[in-house]
Amino acid sequence: MTETLSGVEAFEADLQELQDRAPRSLSWLSAAREQAFAEFVKQGLPTLKTEGWRFTPASKIQKTPFEPSERPVVRGGFGGRALCPITFYRLVVHNGRVLPGGEGSTLSGLPAGVRVQSLSEILRDEPEALKAVLTHGFDKSGLPYGALAAALFSEGIVVKIGRHVRLDRPLNLLFATDDSEAGLPQAAHLRVLLLLEDGASAEIVTESVGGGRAPFWTNVLTQAVLGEGASLKHYRLQRENETGLQTAATLVEVGRSARYESHAFNFGGALVRHDLRVRLAGEGADCLLNGLALVRGEETVDHHTVVEHASVGGTTRELYKAVLDERGRFVFDGLVDVRPGAQKTDASVYNKNLLLSEDADIHTNPEFKILADDVSCKHGGAIGQLSGESMFYLRSRGIGESDARRMLVYAFGAEMIDRVGLEPLREALTAALYARMPEAAEEAA
Amino acid sequence: MLKIKNLQASAGGKAILKGVDLTVNAGEVHAIMGPNGSGKSTLSYVLAGRDGYQVTGGSAEYEGKDLLAMAPEVRAREGVFLAFQYPVEIPGVSNKYFLKAAYNAVRKHRGEPEMDAGPFLKFVKEKAKSVEMDPAFLNRSVNEGFSGGEKKRNEILQLAVLEPKLALLDETDSGLDIDALKIVANGINKLRDPKRAVVLVTHYQRLLDYIVPDFVHVLSGGRIVKSGGKELALQLEKEGYGWIETEKVGA
Repeated sequence: MTETLSGVEAFEADLQELQDRAPRSLSWLSAAREQAFAEFVKQGLPTLKTEGWRFTPASKIQKTPFEPSERPVVRGGFGGRALCPITFYRLVVHNGRVLPGGEGSTLSGLPAGVRVQSLSEILRDEPEALKAVLTHGFDKSGLPYGALAAALFSEGIVVKIGRHVRLDRPLNLLFATDDSEAGLPQAAHLRVLLLLEDGASAEIVTESVGGGRAPFWTNVLTQAVLGEGASLKHYRLQRENETGLQTAATLVEVGRSARYESHAFNFGGALVRHDLRVRLAGEGADCLLNGLALVRGEETVDHHTVVEHASVGGTTRELYKAVLDERGRFVFDGLVDVRPGAQKTDASVYNKNLLLSEDADIHTNPEFKILADDVSCKHGGAIGQLSGESMFYLRSRGIGESDARRMLVYAFGAEMIDRVGLEPLREALTAALYARMPEAAEEAA
Repeated sequence: MLKIKNLQASAGGKAILKGVDLTVNAGEVHAIMGPNGSGKSTLSYVLAGRDGYQVTGGSAEYEGKDLLAMAPEVRAREGVFLAFQYPVEIPGVSNKYFLKAAYNAVRKHRGEPEMDAGPFLKFVKEKAKSVEMDPAFLNRSVNEGFSGGEKKRNEILQLAVLEPKLALLDETDSGLDIDALKIVANGINKLRDPKRAVVLVTHYQRLLDYIVPDFVHVLSGGRIVKSGGKELALQLEKEGYGWIETEKVGA
């Protein structure tokens, strides 16, 4: 059985099982799954020879025989595990299953015009509502796992914010994973839809928290659509357990004068691959893409971002930072694609890295493709080490070596945390950042 | 308090200190003067424990302990403070957080309880006032974007907060206008105490108009070649360092 796992065929049985269970009335969905699967098969599993995957050890996923996710042995306790405070709205997905209110999810008091539901619930009760968005194809090139998620998703979340409605409190979409009774490696394929109509605004925190010991592979496809003048602040916090794997493809369509913000924080996991593709479709659409990763051990964090400036007067501000220790690897590929006619585009892409160990490695590639002539585009990358001068300055004031190191690492990362608009989240992120520091791990051991 | 005997040190394989002897007792203020390249800054750095210098001979005893064997942070906790000639900018670390961490590290070392953020802020604001520093600087990143004078004043603020027993001030007067110089001098004078000692490393006599030293030493070619009272500084100001070189050759 293990031999076939290396190929795409390994997933055929999973697809078949989903199709067998699907009601006849959802034949359009079955067709969409088939189509996505065909695309996945066509692309094949990514290897170190696949364009865009050359530094991503996807074999960590391919070598593991995953079972479809099952009920976790651990229940509840999300308040203590999530970085988001309990005061936020919360919907919990535990091992791929959406938990109802009372079992961790708290959605009471949502304003009129806001819907937060599980995908399976909508497919059961009013599937036609999702037909357009689920059958509408998207460019899956370079996204083999995104295509796979579109084929195999077993569950998901739909958030819909109506015209000119403001979500009054942040919404936490919490993806928790834990060992099943069998304790075997598990996988979940999920889909998230964030639909903001014209003038709608929301702060949404997608957060993954990995428990247990066995590997858990979360493969999630997120599609966000922002109507004219809409605003989405999308915080993406990711903390898998040390064998945890995450492949996430996020596709965002930003309408006229709308604004999308992404703040990605990666605090652990054997392999994390994020593809973020933002299309600034309408005139004057903006995006702000921030990232901070703390990578250590044998971990890999890989961010591939593409921003397509498809219209006039769009703005992109992108800055990803990474702190690397031990044998960690960080990959950053940030492309801004300025289409013909996208004049007055104003874009900057930066990647800055702090290297704490000689064994860590970084592959960084901020890049522009410009097919318009009246644009302002800047990009840059930097790799540095802790400054010996700063270390001595701090120590000469009585601050111990490990505290001084921690202070400087924190200072490097704090810039990204400071950009988070939600104060309770900033505090939690600060604590999480400290907890991830190598000395902290040593002291705890 | 500080006994330096025949101290020799090199940097990058080049001998810089070639046998410094100096004794500083509690309550005293010493000025170490000398031409550029005489080893003044090296002496400060070696005493504070900066990397990149090799002690090749001699000793430095602080309160009866081997100073050179201590890590830089231990020296600081034991009460040795070096005010930098070029204070370091540390983006992302707020001045008040930095001061609190330093203050509490020292307190912890003395077996005193650490001070919480609230009381500390009150304490540090008082100290800032005493060196005529706008409290807004407490919320800024350490030295980041500070002018030369503001950086030096920040050094004196740290001095006032940490209240060291032995303060080494490396060219603290350089780059200061006369008003800033007075403020800095005033900050140092406030610290003068029978239990404390101050060592001023300076190229010019100017600072010594405001901080009157008990002893003046001339460092030249990696050795202290002349020691005297405050009048020696005035003589140096008038006649330059040339006559010392000559005297040395003649001796």
